[in-house]
Amino acid sequence: MKSISLYEEKNSTLNHLDSGCKMLYMVAAILVPALIGNKWANVAVIILSVFLLAISKVLRKTVPVLSVSGIVILTIVIIQGMFRAGNTTVVLQLGPAAFYKEGLLYSLGIALNVFNILLAICVLIFTTKPSDMVENFIEKGFSPRLGYVFISIFQIIPQMMETMNTITDAQRSRGMETEGSLLVRIKAFLPLISPVVMSSLVDTKERAIALEVRGFNAKTKKTFLNERKVTTTDKIINLLLIAAVLASVAWRVKLWLG
Amino acid sequence: MARIEVNHLKYRYPHTENLALDGVSFQIEPGEFIGIIGKNGSGKSTLCQAFTGLIPNFYRGAYGGNVKIGEINVRDVEVDELCQKVGIVFQNPFNQITGSKLTVYDEIAFGLENLGLSRKEMIRRIDDALEQLDITRFRDRNPFDLSGGQMQRMAIASIIAMNPEIIILDEPTSQLDPQGSEEVFKAVQRLSQKGITIIMVEHKMEKIAAYSDRVMLLDEGKMIDFDTPQKIFSRDDLLEHGVLPPAFTRIGRGLDRKNAATGEYPVTLKEAKEALEGMAV
Amino acid sequence: MMGRLEIRDLHFSYTENEEILKGIDLVLDQQSTAIIGQNGAGKTTFVKLLKGLLQPTSGKIVYNGTDLSSMTVAQIAKHIGMVFQNPNDQIFKNSVIDEVMFGPMQVGMSKEEAKVHAMDALEMVGMEKKCKVNPYDLGLSERKLISIAAILAMDPEVIIFDEPTIAQDYAGKKCIGEIVEHLRNQGKLVLTIIHDMDFVAEHFDRAVVFAKGGVLLDGNPEKVFSRAEILEKAFLEQPNVTRLCHALGYEETFLTTDDFVEYKKGQ
Repeated sequence: MKSISLYEEKNSTLNHLDSGCKMLYMVAAILVPALIGNKWANVAVIILSVFLLAISKVLRKTVPVLSVSGIVILTIVIIQGMFRAGNTTVVLQLGPAAFYKEGLLYSLGIALNVFNILLAICVLIFTTKPSDMVENFIEKGFSPRLGYVFISIFQIIPQMMETMNTITDAQRSRGMETEGSLLVRIKAFLPLISPVVMSSLVDTKERAIALEVRGFNAKTKKTFLNERKVTTTDKIINLLLIAAVLASVAWRVKLWLG
Repeated sequence: MARIEVNHLKYRYPHTENLALDGVSFQIEPGEFIGIIGKNGSGKSTLCQAFTGLIPNFYRGAYGGNVKIGEINVRDVEVDELCQKVGIVFQNPFNQITGSKLTVYDEIAFGLENLGLSRKEMIRRIDDALEQLDITRFRDRNPFDLSGGQMQRMAIASIIAMNPEIIILDEPTSQLDPQGSEEVFKAVQRLSQKGITIIMVEHKMEKIAAYSDRVMLLDEGKMIDFDTPQKIFSRDDLLEHGVLPPAFTRIGRGLDRKNAATGEYPVTLKEAKEALEGMAV
Repeated sequence: MMGRLEIRDLHFSYTENEEILKGIDLVLDQQSTAIIGQNGAGKTTFVKLLKGLLQPTSGKIVYNGTDLSSMTVAQIAKHIGMVFQNPNDQIFKNSVIDEVMFGPMQVGMSKEEAKVHAMDALEMVGMEKKCKVNPYDLGLSERKLISIAAILAMDPEVIIFDEPTIAQDYAGKKCIGEIVEHLRNQGKLVLTIIHDMDFVAEHFDRAVVFAKGGVLLDGNPEKVFSRAEILEKAFLEQPNVTRLCHALGYEETFLTTDDFVEYKKGQ
């Protein structure tokens, strides 16, 4: 059974960093360039994120994320580059299509922002065990039930996929076609989805009972097996990140006043 | 240690007409190994859930009589309070995995975290439970990557770690292969030897006969009999109640070989061997 | 028509480094055959290949002279039926009769024809009186019988059961045992994957032991169950009666309590 969790234990520096610290990094990496409002700030933070992902040996895992969003960004670049209101300066002429400087710069801004946000999220998600993150939230008063749903989904969904495969096999064994034209697929929908829903209901009920008898609804304050270690390094990084955010707020305020 | 006392227990599931349990009364002494048998729908699983308070506190429905674990009336306490006294293991090992933990070790910790135990106590109990169920070597595996027998032993370890005095097992081996079943039976027997009260529902009569101190026969929500395996399996009306006696008892009956001292048919391989060895080969 | 399956040097793997089936050679014909073995021995993979749900990595399966790889899953379904372990994996109609008629209509029977076959199949499993009931209102044992009837109604020549006795009580097992024998007497080829050795000893003509992706033992149950040491290596047990007779020092292998009692009485 495969987990669909994006996290992978690589024993890297970032793996060992406290989850709170990485969450703070994500927030700071998004806020600081936004507050400064300068493309170069974005570029700098992107480089930093790429560097962090690289030393954590998870840079490759960003490829699917970046390529999917890359396609979206590309369409934005084309549309804005050609048709944005206020386009005046042609920089590139490809046959009948003319690309304008204003539109391209505008879409470059969007692209940098999107990539920056995605990479910052990747730094957190790819290097942090989901349960560490959720336990951190629960300690701060987040609902343990919601926390459970959030973490378990990574393992329960693959289990449901497995059930789905068995059901597909069972119905194909009765002569049902599942591949082919749209009509064939529509016809196959009900025989597949009804057993899936029923078996998920049964599984969910059984699991709810199994959780119940392990004290899931106990009113006692939960404790955690895995100790959350906030080291001096974590604290220093946290302080630096907060300082960076405050500094950029100050910068923004100064711009307004000045 | 707690004694179990069930008095005139009646129960009906919500939106149903028939009683799932119909006036059941009995006592179970601490440390006993009890087998529960009966056809499908006879009330075995319902009774299991009544010991843990899931009935009526989780299922609701109409409830009469009472179930007492020591001084506690299960109806009056929350399921999570009772789970430290009475643990339950179900048929399907997959659906007992929380899905929120990445290793066997962390999986067993789930219940202990909910109880708010200290880290030191958790580690002590988890190490002990892994040892008792003989799964220490799988501690860092993903729970979903275990075989059925290993998964079921992990489920039992998760319950054992919560330190219950009574463990209920509702058909724990029906989904396992012969080797997996054997692993589970052996593990349960070890727990029984440590003095934990075991209540087990099982269709494999040979196993029930071999391990149980007493066997309870249920049919249509009523308790038909509750006695030693030899007495229960020597009954003439077992088939009418939908239960096939162990192969050894059927042979003893077919050849009319009883234990000379007790006048009962053999129920285990060992007893059958003794009863038959006198006969010419 | 009779069903005959010829399996020649069958190999299968999901990934390159781990072979699940390592060269199976078998001929399956007019006998009820039980495939036994530990979980992970390759039994499920094997029957999925017989149903065309998976394709062999090498080797082939020939059904009555035709290579299975030249047939679609739907075409195979006409000839080879399979009852899955959990009836909830297939039931989706609101009435028993509609559920049982679904398969026959998928493989090209007319509505009338499907109805006749469905009623026959329901009769064989003893559920003809419940044909208008919603399957979800039935207990698990009865749902299992519905799922069996749903396959029988398609009138395949080969019927495969996957763990038919799981979660069944005495009455359920007895009923399924009778169905197996009835089908066999009709000349169908009955195959099953199963862990219940007593059930195999009682109802099957042949037992094939799978271990680590190959066939370890093959023959009638007397022969297979007499090999206690080999079975133990494959993590399997002898049937209870066989174990007792071995413990008593008998040379013969007894498969059922009745056989043994008869034998003793005859002495």
